[in-house]
Amino acid sequence: MTELTPTLTASNLTKTIGHKTIVDSVSFELQQGEIFGFLGPNGAGKTTTIRMLVGLIRPTAGSVRICGYDIQQNFEDAMRCVGCIVENPDLYRFMTGRENLEHFARMLRVSNSEIERVADAVSLAHRLEQRVGTYSLGMRQRLGIAQALLGNPKLLILDEPANGLDPAGIREIRELLRRLAGEQQMSIFISSHLLAEIELTCDRVAIIHKGRILREGSVRDLISSRRDMELRVDDVPRASVIARERNLTFRTDGDRIWLAMEEADAPPLLSALAEAGVKIFHAQRRAQSLEEMFLEATGGETVD
Amino acid sequence: MLIPLIQNETLKIIRRKRFAVVIAILFVILALVTYSQYRRLREQQNRNWRAEIQQRVANFQNMMRRGRLNESYARGLRAEAGRLQFYLDHDIEPDKPTGPLFVRGFANASGWLLPLLVAMFGADIVSAENAEGTDKLLLTRPVRRWKILTAKLLTLFMFATLTLICGAVIAYAISSPFLPSGGWNAPTFVGFQLSGNSVSLDSVRQLPLWKDTMIAYGLQWYALLAVAAIALLLSVLFKSSAAAIGTMLASLIGGTILTRISPDWTAGKYLFVSALPLADYYTGQPPPYDGMSMLFCISLLGAWAIVATTISYAVFTRRDVFG
Repeated sequence: MTELTPTLTASNLTKTIGHKTIVDSVSFELQQGEIFGFLGPNGAGKTTTIRMLVGLIRPTAGSVRICGYDIQQNFEDAMRCVGCIVENPDLYRFMTGRENLEHFARMLRVSNSEIERVADAVSLAHRLEQRVGTYSLGMRQRLGIAQALLGNPKLLILDEPANGLDPAGIREIRELLRRLAGEQQMSIFISSHLLAEIELTCDRVAIIHKGRILREGSVRDLISSRRDMELRVDDVPRASVIARERNLTFRTDGDRIWLAMEEADAPPLLSALAEAGVKIFHAQRRAQSLEEMFLEATGGETVD
Repeated sequence: MLIPLIQNETLKIIRRKRFAVVIAILFVILALVTYSQYRRLREQQNRNWRAEIQQRVANFQNMMRRGRLNESYARGLRAEAGRLQFYLDHDIEPDKPTGPLFVRGFANASGWLLPLLVAMFGADIVSAENAEGTDKLLLTRPVRRWKILTAKLLTLFMFATLTLICGAVIAYAISSPFLPSGGWNAPTFVGFQLSGNSVSLDSVRQLPLWKDTMIAYGLQWYALLAVAAIALLLSVLFKSSAAAIGTMLASLIGGTILTRISPDWTAGKYLFVSALPLADYYTGQPPPYDGMSMLFCISLLGAWAIVATTISYAVFTRRDVFG
């Protein structure tokens, strides 16, 4: 593939208010067609970072370039490449879905045929004539995404896009985002507290904590850095004794036991357990989840 | 370039039902006043208007002779007595209950009523976006902030103008079945000036009523635009619509009371509310403080509007938008 300008470049983004540094030299890049996940507990500086990306907050230091345009110097050109939802999908509740989309279409100067296209993309066409005040959070989330898709932007910035959606809706939106990234080479920036969702949707993840990026990398690299064996057995104490005899590190929870081990060590362990009369109901090699990794990286602080 | 943005702002004001409320208020107030005028007309049918007016002038003079009146109130009485006497001397009935005079009278009444109504949708126009969180979308589209604020200001000017026009039209429409609707060419006198204890008649001119009405509405329109600019400033500064509207109404009402009860505090002439009832001053009511010529009032309102707009732009285009 040829070298392309990154769709989004954040360099050394910093925001200081008074003496408090809320975001501290945050840098990352999004390539075309890439889905980037942004994870962090509340107050980590997630939303402040997003607000700086879309020009709502002026950074104290650092810069944002979208499709090569600096958002301070070329705000209009830069923003023409972006569709976004910041925090909640707040739209005009006293207007209908269609009026909302027309409102933003006028600002972008795109034609009304765009409205049908984006409404179809998020399966909202049948509710367009109703007032947004009557929508559920999930419907508003869809309308927010539809609004962001107006004008076919190169970059989508979505803050908690799964919020308020039911599992089927989450899956539908995930497929939509993957399709947009795959077929239209759209770059997508997602912040979420649903780690499983990020794991399923994103190509790359950054973990932000106390205003700094702690880790960044491809989801696959971050996850495959460690794998555990998960067992469900009838007698956890006896299984623990056998694991200890074999110098394995492990932890237990209820009728489950997790062991850190190489794949090759699995058959001998399972035989030994069977010989000792431990009944094994379930054995699985499992990647460390993003959640576990996240807790490790942030030192045990919960997400959300 | 600004047209689609103005279209958006117009749609929002209408969908928020702000303007419908304004029209409803105008309708109710004007209907009540028409009713009272209609009653007066019926009672007066057999009366002598000259005797009525003479009685009113005599009452005013008695009140002033008895003294102990608030200075600003006394000045008002003196000016009104002078004006009525002038009409008596020229044998023209000044306050006949007719449709055209009712419309003309509304220009004066709008000096205190319409600023309140303009404040209702004006103080809301930016702060509501803030309160409802829609500013995050509005300001992340490829449109510079100054353009968005300009669209909002122009839309406000448009609706302030529309409020005044609707007021005049409703006044005429609602009064025409009950009051005589002719008389647009009736002579009226303008240019009464209070100098010391007497009313100076040097600059009194005669105008046909329609011309006089146009001038009064023109002045009030100018004052309303200044109110709209000040309302926009409050709307930018306050995050909640209720706080913005409340502050606007408090400064309009509180300011007016202040200028009426403390005419000694001469710095009060620099408050924008002192200059708001331009149509009143044009008709002959003295402004609450000395040295407030028409030119002074117009410049004062202009200065307030320009300063308010400048601050609005400076704050709106630069500020950080937090949640």
